[in-house]
Amino acid sequence: MVRLYRWLIRLSPAALRREYGAAIEETFARRWNDARASGFWTSVRICARELAGLIGWLLSERWGAPARLRWQRQQIQSRGKAGHMDAVGREIRHATRRLVRSPAFTLAAVLTLALAIGANTAIFTVVYRVVLNPLPYPASDRLIALDYGLPTRNINAGVKYMSSQFYYQLADRARTLESVAVYNIWGATLTGLEGNPERIQISRATPSLASVLRVQPALGRWFTDQEGVPGSPPPVVLSHGLWIRRFGRDPAILGRSLSVDGLPTTVVGVMPAAFTFPDARTDAWIAAQSTRATASSLFTFMGVARLRDGTTLASARAEMAQLITDLSRVSPNHRGWIATALPLQDAVVGQIARTLWILLAAVGLVLLVACANVANLFLVRSDARRREVAVRQALGAGRRALAGYFLAESVLLSIAGGVTGLGLSWGAVRLLVAFAPVNLPRLQEVRLDASVLAFTLALSLLTAIAFGAIPWLRLAPLPASLHESGRSNTASRGRYRARHLLMGGQVALALVLVVFSGLMLRSFQKLRAVDPGFDARSALTFSIALPDRDYASRRSAVATHRAILDRLSAIPGVTAASASTCLPLSTYCLEHMVVPEGVVDDGMLRPRALFYAVAGGYFEATGIRLLRGRFIDRGDVERGAPVAVVNTALADALFPNQDPLGKRFRSSMPPTSPPNAPPWLEIVGVVSNTPVFSLTERTPVAQLYMPMSIAGGPDIPVGTMLGPSVSKMSYAVRAATPPATLAAAVRTGVGEIDPNLPVSDVRSLEDILDRAAAQMAFTMTLIIIAASVALMLGVIGIYGVMSYVVSQRTGEIGVRLALGADPGQVAGMIVRQGGLVAIAGVIVGLGLAYAGSRFIASLLYGVSARDPVVFAATTVLLLTVALMACWLPARRGARLSPLEALRAE
Amino acid sequence: MLIRRHAINEASYRTYFFSALLMNRVTDDASPRPALTDLAFHILIALGSGPAHGYAIGKDVEEQSGGRLDPSTGTLYQALHRLKEEGLIASVEPPERSDERRKYFQLTERGRRVAEAEARRLHTLVRTARKRKLYPQQA
Repeated sequence: MVRLYRWLIRLSPAALRREYGAAIEETFARRWNDARASGFWTSVRICARELAGLIGWLLSERWGAPARLRWQRQQIQSRGKAGHMDAVGREIRHATRRLVRSPAFTLAAVLTLALAIGANTAIFTVVYRVVLNPLPYPASDRLIALDYGLPTRNINAGVKYMSSQFYYQLADRARTLESVAVYNIWGATLTGLEGNPERIQISRATPSLASVLRVQPALGRWFTDQEGVPGSPPPVVLSHGLWIRRFGRDPAILGRSLSVDGLPTTVVGVMPAAFTFPDARTDAWIAAQSTRATASSLFTFMGVARLRDGTTLASARAEMAQLITDLSRVSPNHRGWIATALPLQDAVVGQIARTLWILLAAVGLVLLVACANVANLFLVRSDARRREVAVRQALGAGRRALAGYFLAESVLLSIAGGVTGLGLSWGAVRLLVAFAPVNLPRLQEVRLDASVLAFTLALSLLTAIAFGAIPWLRLAPLPASLHESGRSNTASRGRYRARHLLMGGQVALALVLVVFSGLMLRSFQKLRAVDPGFDARSALTFSIALPDRDYASRRSAVATHRAILDRLSAIPGVTAASASTCLPLSTYCLEHMVVPEGVVDDGMLRPRALFYAVAGGYFEATGIRLLRGRFIDRGDVERGAPVAVVNTALADALFPNQDPLGKRFRSSMPPTSPPNAPPWLEIVGVVSNTPVFSLTERTPVAQLYMPMSIAGGPDIPVGTMLGPSVSKMSYAVRAATPPATLAAAVRTGVGEIDPNLPVSDVRSLEDILDRAAAQMAFTMTLIIIAASVALMLGVIGIYGVMSYVVSQRTGEIGVRLALGADPGQVAGMIVRQGGLVAIAGVIVGLGLAYAGSRFIASLLYGVSARDPVVFAATTVLLLTVALMACWLPARRGARLSPLEALRAE
Repeated sequence: MLIRRHAINEASYRTYFFSALLMNRVTDDASPRPALTDLAFHILIALGSGPAHGYAIGKDVEEQSGGRLDPSTGTLYQALHRLKEEGLIASVEPPERSDERRKYFQLTERGRRVAEAEARRLHTLVRTARKRKLYPQQA
C-alpha cells in the first residue's frame, strides 16, 4: 500500500514532489499503520479516502484552479513581460482556432509544406552526412589521400595506386608527413568458420594504418610493426559486422585460427562498428608484409597519410613530387609519374558532392513552388478577412500587430509541416539508403541527427516568413483597406497581381525542374544505348577463388577451372561457359606496361594495358565482338600457346596504322632477356573495346587477353609479370534460360568438382551493366521525382488561382452572359488571362533553365546541357498542362447560367 | 456512505478554499484575509503552540474538532501547501534526531494575525448569537 502511494506521489508536479514527497509518504505510512490497527474495514475505508485525497490533489495541481492561479500570479508579477508574451500567446491561440475551423485549408497547406520540407530534409541529410560532415577520425582535416598522374598520357591525377617502394620512400624521407600507410582491397575466401566458407572483402594494410587514422580496435589490438615483416603468418583484424555475422559476437574471438585463401592467420582484434575504412564493405584487415629490400615497384596499393602539424598540403605535394622523381632514378617503373595528394574527405566523397548539391538545389526549387502554393492559399484567406483586418486597423492595430496576426498562422502551419516533413524525411532517408548506388560513399553514416533537426526547424521558420509575409506586405493603409473590403463586381488588377506573380513564379520554377529532368532522362537513354562491347543478355557471372593451399600450382588451378567449365557446359540450356581473371566493368584487373617486338625495352614508358587471363570460349560466352583474326580457343589453352587477343585501343597504341595480326609484344618487366624474360605473345585477334571503369569513360582502356595456362599462378612469382594469377577466376555462363535460373545448377556443378569452393558475386551481366549506370539512374530518378512534385504543385496552384479568379468574377461573368456573350468567349477570356501569366512564367523559366543548365552539365552524358529538343518538348508539356489547368475552371464558370451567376453575388 | 460523506467533505473543503482564494485574488497586500476554511483555521490553531510536522498537525486537527475533521494526507498537505503559498505558515528545520523525511511547519507573523482575526470574528459571531438566544449563555 505504501508502495502504491509512493508511486502515485511520483505523478505530482516535480516541484511539489521535491518539497513534500518524503513528508507525505512518511505521514501516510504512519496513518496506514494506525488504520491497520483499527480493523480490516476501517483500513479499507481509510485507504480509499487516502487514495482519493491524493489523486484529487494531484489532479488539482496539474489542471485545476491552483495551476491557473499560479499562471495568473506569474502574469501579474511580471506584468511588463507578461503583456507582450500575453499578446503573442493570444495570437497563437486565435490562430490555432482559425486553423482548426478551416480543416481543408490547414490540411492542404500542411501536406504541401510537409512534402517540400521533408524532401529538403532528406536530401540535406545525405548532403550533410556525406559531404559536409568531417570523416569520423580524429583531426580528419589533416588526413590526405595519395594520388598519382602520368602527364605523358594526359593523366594529371586520379591514379590512386602506388608501389610499396614509394611507400618506403615516403615513410623514410617525407618530412611533411607525420605518418603514411598503404592498403589495398581484394576478395578472399575465409575458412575456419562454423558453417560454409565465405567470400569476403579484405584489406591488406601496413601496421601504420592505425596510427595514420588514429583508431584502435574495440577488442584486442592492431598489427605490430614486427607483424608487417615477412617471417610468420600475417594476423587478421575483423570488422564489427563480420564478428557479429559469422562469429556471434564471440568474446573469445581473439587468438582464433582462420584461413584466408588457404593461408593460415590468427585473429588479433575486432574494429569498432563505426570503422569502415576503406569502405563499408570491408570485412577484415590483414597485415601487409614486406621489407625495404623486397619492396615491389608494382602499383598495387593505395596510400593515405597524415600531415605533420604545421605543414600544408601544398608543401606535402611539392615534397612528394620531388621524392617520386628521386625514386624514378633507381626504379624505372616510376619514370614519368607525378605524385600529389588531396584531402582524404575529397577523395572519399569524390564527384558525388556535385551531384548531391544539385539534388539539394532541385528540392529547394520544389520548396519554393510549395511556398508559392501556400502563399496563394494565404492570399485567398486574407482576402476573405479583409473586413476583419480593416476593423483591426481602425481600432489602432499597427503593421507590427498585424504582422503577428498573419505570421501566427504561417508559423503554426510551418511548424506542423516541418514536424510532418521530418517524419516523411525519416522514411525517405531509409529509402534513399536502401536504393542508393552501392558505391555512394559514406552511405552507412547517413541518418537524421541534431544538425538535421536544426536545419528543418530553420527551414520551417523561413518558409513561414516567406509565405506569411506576403499578405502582410500587401496591407494597404486604412482607407484603402476599408474600400477594398467592400463589395465589387469587377476585378481590379492590383487585387490579382500578387497571385499572378506567384502563379508565374511556380510555372517558371517547375519548368526549370522539368527541363533538368528531361535532360537527365535523355542522358540516361544515351547511356543505356552505349554499346558496351559485349552482349549482356542472358548471361550469369560468378567468381571462384581456389585456395593456394589446395591448388598450389598454375597447372592444378587451370585443370580445376577446365573441369568446372566442362561440368557447367553440361547443364541443360547452357550455350557457352568460360572464365577470365577479370570481367568487363571490373576495376580490379592487373595493369602493366607492354612493349612491342622490335622496340628496345630500355625501361622507358610504354603503353599500359589490362591483362585478362582467359579460358577458351571466353569471347563467345561474354559476347565480345571479334573485329579481326580469331578468338583464343581451348586448344590454345591446352597447348599453352603464346598468343594474345588485343582490343582496338591496345592495337592502336602498339602498332598505330598497322595490321596488328601476327605481330608480337610482351610484358615490359625485367629481366628483358631470356631465359626468365616474359614470353613474346603473338596477336591472333582484335576485339572491340569494352568499358572498364564506367560506361562513360571517354578514353578506351587498352586490354589484352591471354590463355590462362601461360598467365600467373600461385607458384609463379608476382614479379615476373607473366600475367594475372589464375587462382581466382570470374566465370560467364550463357544460356537460353534466364540467368537467375542457373544459379542453383551452377552451385551444384561446382560442388561436384570441389564441395569446399564457395561461389561468390553471383549476378548477371545485365546487373553489372545496370550497376555501371546506377549512379546516373539514381540521380535521374530523384530529379524526376522533384520535377513531378513541382509540376503537380504548380498545376494545383494554377488551378487553384484560376478557380478563385472565376469565383470572384462570377458576377461579372453573369453580367456578360446575360448581355449575350458567348460562353466560349467568356471561357477564352479567362483562359487568356491565366495563359498570359503561364507564358510569362515559361519565358522566365526558360531563361533560368538556360542559365542554370551548365551546373548540371557534369551529370549528363551524350546530351548538351542546352539541348533544344529537350527544352522545346518540356516547354510544350508544361504550357499544355498549365493551359489545361486554366481552362477547366474557366469552362466551369462559363457554364453557369446568368441567373445563377448573378444570384451567387 | 461514510466514504461518500468524507469525499463530499473533501470536495467541499477544496471548493471553499479555492473560492476564498479566487475571491481574494492575488494581491501584494499583506493585510489579514477574511474567512478561512474550517481546515485552514484548525491547522493554524494546531500550529499556535509551536512548530509541528504533518502527521502531528493532522492528529491535532482531529482532536480539536472532536473527530469531525479528519482530512486525508493529500487534503492535509494540500491545505498546508496553500497556507504556505499564502504566507500564513512556513517550513522550518526539523529538530535534531527527528525522522529526516518529516517536514515541520510553523506559523508566520501574518498567519498569527490572520488566525487572531479569525478567532475574533468567530468570537463576535458567537456573542451575537448569544444575544439572539441562538447559543447558550456562558455559565
